[in-house]
Amino acid sequence: MSILDGDGDGCDQPKAQKEEPQQEEWPYLDVHRHLRYWKMCIRAPLPHVYLSNESNRLALAYFIVNSITLLTPPPSERTAETPEPLISREDKKLMRKWVLHHQHPTGGFCGTSSLVFPLKDYDTFNFETKTSDEPEHAGLANISSTLFGLQLLALLADEEDEAAAEKVFEGVNRTGTLRWLKSLQREDGSFGEALSDLPGHGRFIAGGYDMRYCYIATAIRWILRGDVKEGEPGWVEDFDTEKLAKHTTEDSPVTPKTKPTQATPTAPSQLSPFSTVLSLPPLLPPHPPPSPSPSPSPSAPQKPSLLHSSIRDLPGLIHWLSSRPFVYLEPPPPPSDSDSYIYQEDDLDDPNFLLPPTPSDLLCLLSETTTKDGQPKQAHVAFNGRTNKVADTCYFWWVGGALANLGHLDSLVDKEPARRFLLEKMQHRIGGFGKSPGSPPDLYHSFFGLAVLGLLGDERERGKVREFDAGLAVPRATVGVIEMARGRLVELEREGGRGGKGEKQLDAVELGLELRGGERERPKWLGECGY
Amino acid sequence: MPPKSKAATKPKATEPAPATTNPTTTTTTNTSQTASSQEPSEPTTVLERSQQRYEKTRPFEAARRQHGLSKLSKEDQKGWICDQLLHLTNRLPAASRARLLSPKASKEIWWTINGTNSIVRGLKQQPKAHTTWGTDRNGHDVGSYSIERFDERIKKRAALTALQVSSRVFRENVEREKRGFVDARSGQEIIVTEREIDEEKVRRSKMTALKKELYGEITGKLASSVDWEDVVPTPHEEPEGALAAIAYPAEYAEAMSYLRAVMSKKEYSPRCLRLTEHIIGMNAAHYTVWLYRAANIFALGLSIPDEIEWLNEVALANLKNYQIWHHRHLLVEHYHPTIASDAEALAHFAKQERDFLIAILSEDTKNYHVWSYRSWLVGKLEMWEDSEELKSIETLIDEDVRNNSAWSHRFFLVFSNPKYATPGKGATERDDKVTQELVDREVQYAQTKVYLAPQNQSPWNYMRGVLVKGGRQLASVQEFVEEFVVKLGEGDDQEEVRSTHALDFLAEIYAEKGESEKADLCLRRLAEKWDRIRRGYWEWRRKCLTQGSSEKVVEESEKAEEVTVV
Repeated sequence: MSILDGDGDGCDQPKAQKEEPQQEEWPYLDVHRHLRYWKMCIRAPLPHVYLSNESNRLALAYFIVNSITLLTPPPSERTAETPEPLISREDKKLMRKWVLHHQHPTGGFCGTSSLVFPLKDYDTFNFETKTSDEPEHAGLANISSTLFGLQLLALLADEEDEAAAEKVFEGVNRTGTLRWLKSLQREDGSFGEALSDLPGHGRFIAGGYDMRYCYIATAIRWILRGDVKEGEPGWVEDFDTEKLAKHTTEDSPVTPKTKPTQATPTAPSQLSPFSTVLSLPPLLPPHPPPSPSPSPSPSAPQKPSLLHSSIRDLPGLIHWLSSRPFVYLEPPPPPSDSDSYIYQEDDLDDPNFLLPPTPSDLLCLLSETTTKDGQPKQAHVAFNGRTNKVADTCYFWWVGGALANLGHLDSLVDKEPARRFLLEKMQHRIGGFGKSPGSPPDLYHSFFGLAVLGLLGDERERGKVREFDAGLAVPRATVGVIEMARGRLVELEREGGRGGKGEKQLDAVELGLELRGGERERPKWLGECGY
Repeated sequence: MPPKSKAATKPKATEPAPATTNPTTTTTTNTSQTASSQEPSEPTTVLERSQQRYEKTRPFEAARRQHGLSKLSKEDQKGWICDQLLHLTNRLPAASRARLLSPKASKEIWWTINGTNSIVRGLKQQPKAHTTWGTDRNGHDVGSYSIERFDERIKKRAALTALQVSSRVFRENVEREKRGFVDARSGQEIIVTEREIDEEKVRRSKMTALKKELYGEITGKLASSVDWEDVVPTPHEEPEGALAAIAYPAEYAEAMSYLRAVMSKKEYSPRCLRLTEHIIGMNAAHYTVWLYRAANIFALGLSIPDEIEWLNEVALANLKNYQIWHHRHLLVEHYHPTIASDAEALAHFAKQERDFLIAILSEDTKNYHVWSYRSWLVGKLEMWEDSEELKSIETLIDEDVRNNSAWSHRFFLVFSNPKYATPGKGATERDDKVTQELVDREVQYAQTKVYLAPQNQSPWNYMRGVLVKGGRQLASVQEFVEEFVVKLGEGDDQEEVRSTHALDFLAEIYAEKGESEKADLCLRRLAEKWDRIRRGYWEWRRKCLTQGSSEKVVEESEKAEEVTVV
């Protein structure tokens, strides 16, 4: 009998569960504990160890709110026994206000409220050039924070009021943000994270060459741009999508990339230059869907053909992604018993990545049918982020999400042993998931653990975790909210209504056009100004 | 001390009797007995002392509190009422007072008061625990202090006030100096001397210590520093509904409030540089702070090598930090043009950088940030031909043959050298300019490393990459690969696979040669036995074997179509 079961036929489903659903067979997702963990994260200040994320608090907020949303059944599925949602409708309102407070006056979001300056400090900001002649402001809005901010606004939609969903982006400076986004694109098509004024270097696009910024740029574009045609009110000059596509699909000799903090699997991070590909194209279509549809639909795989065809070496990429899972072996006890000790000495530096010298050794270890305490032994499959690296919760998500976007998750990942590893080795007693076996939970890994469960859509987790969208890294239902909200935002701008002020401005513009002779073509620059 | 009651405005009021005077007269012996029947013991706390003082000036009130109004004699009751009225009306302005009490009633009250010889200016406020003196830094009521301890405290408060006054004078002088203010008496411009600054520094530290001792108030390092005298910090106010608040120390909050202030003014100065260091010491992952630091260094024209030296320490203390490497990148970009024409300086700098990279990689051999910086640096400083670079990579691979980062760097170093590599070629693209000797050398290198640990994927991937680069058939290494696969498909007990990567490689070789059945056997055995956790993948590869070529055609046509769409 194969101990590496879990091919999806369900033969290893815990029998107890079928007879008595209340008593689940271990391992299972302990929703109660996870909720308790997240409750702690939302009610009390985060401990001091999170200080290094102080500049990126919107990211932390995104992990928290997204996780709670994943674990909160939608109103239609709630019963009398369902506990009160951790975030009340009233809280959501306040939180949305807090998120919007991070918006920079000229577009984009700052990563932390400590970088939101009192309004008077923006007085010298040049709204035409989007730079400040005087104060140092350019670096305050940040590309990843902007995506997190937009995602948060949608995640915090009041689900009990459907009409409210389409209003979640009200207050978002759509044209400003899209223009600012364009200014973050470098000559080679890539994106930086922020603008900065460096004496002697002028205005400068800060942030390394990081493929995640490229993904984020396309995601923001997808969320905000809509189908406004050139010349129509609300039209904003686009960034160079062609250049971006070229940059992402062509190997560049050096693509330094930061450790992933962005939630969506874009490029599998840290590929070897000789392992076929360096980067993936943005997983969102360069053009948003023609018309925002109110039905919640998966956003990413809308144009799989484009995705597939732009990857230079798809088989190589899939090979690389498929090489990430490995059989997780418990770190051995100290080598007192030298006969059965088959690891090389330096293996012990990486107790979470033990590689038996030959495949036969591995088979031999796996063929032991019971563990020391007499339990039937079942394989655990962990994921790493690079060749010969250790197991890490988040790489189950990164690899799983990338494969899901390629449409290969179900066929290529042996879900059962991977799920078992996640729930048995990474799930922590106090709730949440740790980075590696035995480590305490943190926001980042706790969220990604839930996200990948939502992605797998395992029927045991169904009802516990919402279905998750690998393209936008939010629950499926939230993708629908984003689409509706974008529609509304675009509609508002089409009507020329950027608040009351905007209406007046438009009237003046229309009046001017009338005076100029209404039949004549609208000047192009008007569109560039957002009319 | 409890505030004394305002002097009664009654013009005709008798002069207040001293507190020590017996409040009662012979005519009110009853009261005298009640009020002074228990001679108060020596007070032990400030509260007690004030309580006693209060009672001494308000004998009727004290008696009532002790015995209850109904237990008092008629005389004392009358006295108490008059006393209450007197104190009540004393708080009112004269006009209201006249409205409240008729002249006749007023007269009667005064007659009674005079009759009892009571103290007209009795203490108004009864001392209360906590509220009267407040709490000390430990949250204890200052009223519960012993008299001696309280006197000590009063002295310290006086000292603090004196220091504050001197400090204010100093600050005013600093302001006057800036404005070029001329002292009217001496007729000279005001100059703040070094000695005065030193004195102020001493004063500040004394003030900080006293404030901490008296009130538990911690004045931040910056607020008490003379350097930051002229900066009004912009404190951070969190709006309602905040998420992900972090419990950070007051010191961090203070530093950020100063950062906000100087960033707003776009100030570039040594103190700003120190401020960034202060913040980085607490949080090394704040991208804005790093950018601001870089801006300061460039604006002030500071030495880049000095900054790099400082940065080395920070990097070693924060191995997983990315911002440090971005900062280093900016520094080198800025510094490079100044030494680009000097080959010797360039070589020296390259060596220094490599020495540091070797040191930090020995702490964390697979650190992604360090490796990406290193490959960038090789291009920037043109270290391709530098034999030390290749040697140091070989050392790392010798130390750990599974260090994939080192393998990646080697590939980059060998095959991206602009001396012979075709510019613009992708990493995995065939490059005809690469010599066959080089390909031989690298294939050979990978193979010796495969022997060390056949199940290590790194040299397998490397070898494959080299062959593609050199435009060679994978089949050119078939013999080598077959060494690791014995009697495939000849029964479970016969078949031996020493590396699943060899079997994978072999499948590719067979596919390349068009031997689909053999390739299929390799993939099948991987799925069935040797690498079951990837069963889905191996099955997918088997499917691709049969329809691979047709799929490619579809993909190609899609690509052509998309180019026009994008």
